[in-house]
Amino acid sequence: MSEFLLEVQDLVTSFPGSGSERARVVDGVSFNIRPGEVMALVGESGCGKSVSALSLLRLVPKPGAIESGSVLLDGKDILSLSVPDMRKVRGHEMSMIFQEPMTSLNPVVRVGDQVVEAIRLHEDVSVKAARSRTLELFKQVRIPDPEVRLDAYPHHLSGGLKQRIMIAMALATRPKLIIADEPTTALDVTIQAQILSLLRQLQQELDTAVLLITHDLGVVNELADRISVMYAGRIVEQGDRREVLANPGHPYTRGLLRSMPGLGRPGEPLAEISGMVPAPADWPRGCRFCTRCSEVLDICESEVPARRRLSLTHHVACHAVEATE
Amino acid sequence: MSGDSSQTAPGEPLLRVEGLRTWFPIKSGVFQRTVGHVRAVDGVDITVHAGETVALVGESGCGKTTAGRSLLRLIEPREGVVFFEGRDLLKLPKKELRDARRTAQMVFQDPMSSLNPRLRVRDIIAEGMDSFGIGRDKAERTERVAELLERVQLKADHMSRYPHEFSGGQRQRIGIARALSVEPRLLVLDEAVSALDVSIQAQVLNLLSELQRDLALAYLFITHDLSVVRYLAKRVCVMYLGQVVEEASAEELFRDPQHPYTRGLLSAIPSIDPDRRGLDVSFEGDVPSSANPPSGCRFHTRCPQVMDRCRVEEPQLIQLSGRQSRCFLSEEGSCGVSLG
Ligand SMILES: Nc1ncnc2c1ncn2[C@@H]1O[C@H](COP(=O)(O)OP(=O)(O)OP(=O)(O)O)[C@@H](O)[C@H]1O
Ligand SMILES: Nc1ncnc2c1ncn2[C@@H]1O[C@H](COP(=O)(O)OP(=O)(O)OP(=O)(O)O)[C@@H](O)[C@H]1O
Ligand code: SF4
Ligand SMILES: [Mg+2]
Ligand SMILES: [Mg+2]
Repeated sequence: MSEFLLEVQDLVTSFPGSGSERARVVDGVSFNIRPGEVMALVGESGCGKSVSALSLLRLVPKPGAIESGSVLLDGKDILSLSVPDMRKVRGHEMSMIFQEPMTSLNPVVRVGDQVVEAIRLHEDVSVKAARSRTLELFKQVRIPDPEVRLDAYPHHLSGGLKQRIMIAMALATRPKLIIADEPTTALDVTIQAQILSLLRQLQQELDTAVLLITHDLGVVNELADRISVMYAGRIVEQGDRREVLANPGHPYTRGLLRSMPGLGRPGEPLAEISGMVPAPADWPRGCRFCTRCSEVLDICESEVPARRRLSLTHHVACHAVEATE
Repeated sequence: MSGDSSQTAPGEPLLRVEGLRTWFPIKSGVFQRTVGHVRAVDGVDITVHAGETVALVGESGCGKTTAGRSLLRLIEPREGVVFFEGRDLLKLPKKELRDARRTAQMVFQDPMSSLNPRLRVRDIIAEGMDSFGIGRDKAERTERVAELLERVQLKADHMSRYPHEFSGGQRQRIGIARALSVEPRLLVLDEAVSALDVSIQAQVLNLLSELQRDLALAYLFITHDLSVVRYLAKRVCVMYLGQVVEEASAEELFRDPQHPYTRGLLSAIPSIDPDRRGLDVSFEGDVPSSANPPSGCRFHTRCPQVMDRCRVEEPQLIQLSGRQSRCFLSEEGSCGVSLG
């Protein structure tokens, strides 16, 4: 048995491109997650974070399709499961929390009933038992007045409370892995702080692994154990939280960190990354970051940089980086 | 063209808002009777000097957008004073208001919804020039559109394209170019960089500060993101439930926040320093409804330092040296100067 709960190897997911070629918006992504570990997937908008997550759940919308690669959950090959078996895995062994709780909650059903339904979909329990478990879950995600909230409709609840309900729902089936796609992006900072601290407490209490998708490096620092930085469909840097944040190896990671406005001194220009993420059809041939990189070399435009190890746990795909071995 | 616009007396701020109040009626029943009011903006003072940036910050729903729109009378406030370039905008007849508003432009969060998708970029940017009669003829206006596009670091030949052909950051630049086309002195920027990735946000922030330097523009910078404020703003107004609860220079606000709400907001910003982890969740719960704000201090339901008095008595803005705070604790505040 492997030490990893989730093993993603060379995952490729594509959408129809402009011509006859398909655009590989996820192009050879690999990462592993240990039981109880939080892995962050971070990068700018359009880098392929959500499509990666949807691929793991086999929920890529058509005409998108997973082309190749493997995804093992607890040793089980997710990509070759039958549709009914996959449905069981989804929401049972892995569940998902989305950015916009409103789109995933049914507006005309009381939130308590929605969680009860989710439980009974996966477990053969009475409504009464499911309801008392829902109440437990509401307490666990620290919803104030949980008995009252069971009967509330989504639109009666604030954004923060709705996100707590979503978390309760994601926990309902005691999953081993939660995929959280921008779980706090739509929230105010004060509410975000509450949700982040809740997620951390729960993750420690329940020892659930989390794939945390976000574009916010501050959120990453709060929750992650390890970080994968994604740019234009590929992972360009991966390492322990501390390694990546304190000692970023890839010019892209450095650019992201430096452009955080909190670091700028008033009056001085902020460090920026020039340009923007190109559309998948325009992704460069060699290093995909070469059109924006401040450290670009000739070789970058023609050759895809190989992974270079900076430590046992930290690696970077960049021609300008010297490997340590 | 722009020579006539400065009617601000020496020493007088470009914009002086006092006691601004905008309430929205809550209607109910078959006859749609007014049963109460959302007190979105409830007695707000803001002062912006020519060429400087004042930030208006606070959580969602605290009334920032309503304040920004009311002071330009895009929403009619119920009372207050809005002195802009020497005139009270709230007293101006509609015709004069239109002219007065030329020099105060608004830039929105989501440029997509404010840029007409059926117009080419040239016509979007030239629209204001057309209606204010800026530029001799069409050719001259087109010339100016080209200049403006370059000014915001786009290309002149982008003018023949449509908004959907641009990324979020580029659309925001188009929105800024459109606002600049009529030679304003004040831009009200409502969450102008909030929807952008940090890398793109940095580009737009740099552009804004460059434009400010070159054109002596004043900004009222509305945002829920305090980390952006530190970089751009000279002074900051922190809003909570329709009121300003703290006002200070950006430097002092970040170094030594006075109001418990400001302190909470600052401590909720996650850091990227790997040695600093574990946010201080200093207040629980959600923002109460502005239809029914709490008695006494509006913040008392969430304040970690609440006292008995806060529940019944409403604190006024207390003048400290060079700053203000709406909290009883500031009465014998750390600066020791209480004039309130
Ligand atoms: N349904 C779809 N059809 C076609 N292309 C798509 C579809 N969904 C995503 N893409 C493309 O795949 C790429 C990656 O998108 P994805 O949503 O994974 O980005 P992301 O990193 O999650 O960005 P964000 O931070 O904006 O959520 C983008 O270029 C996007 O345009
Ligand atoms: N047209 C309207 N009719 C009724 N209520 C309104 C209207 N516009 C705003 N409100 C209410 O007024 C209050 C202040 O809203 P406003 O949009 O000004 O807040 P904000 O600080 O800009 O929030 P955000 O950060 O979400 O943009 C909110 O309670 C809002 O629901
Ligand atoms: S490989 Fe080259 S272009 Fe890519 S990040 Fe490294 S230096 Fe920059
Ligand atoms: Mg996404
Ligand atoms: Mg707003």
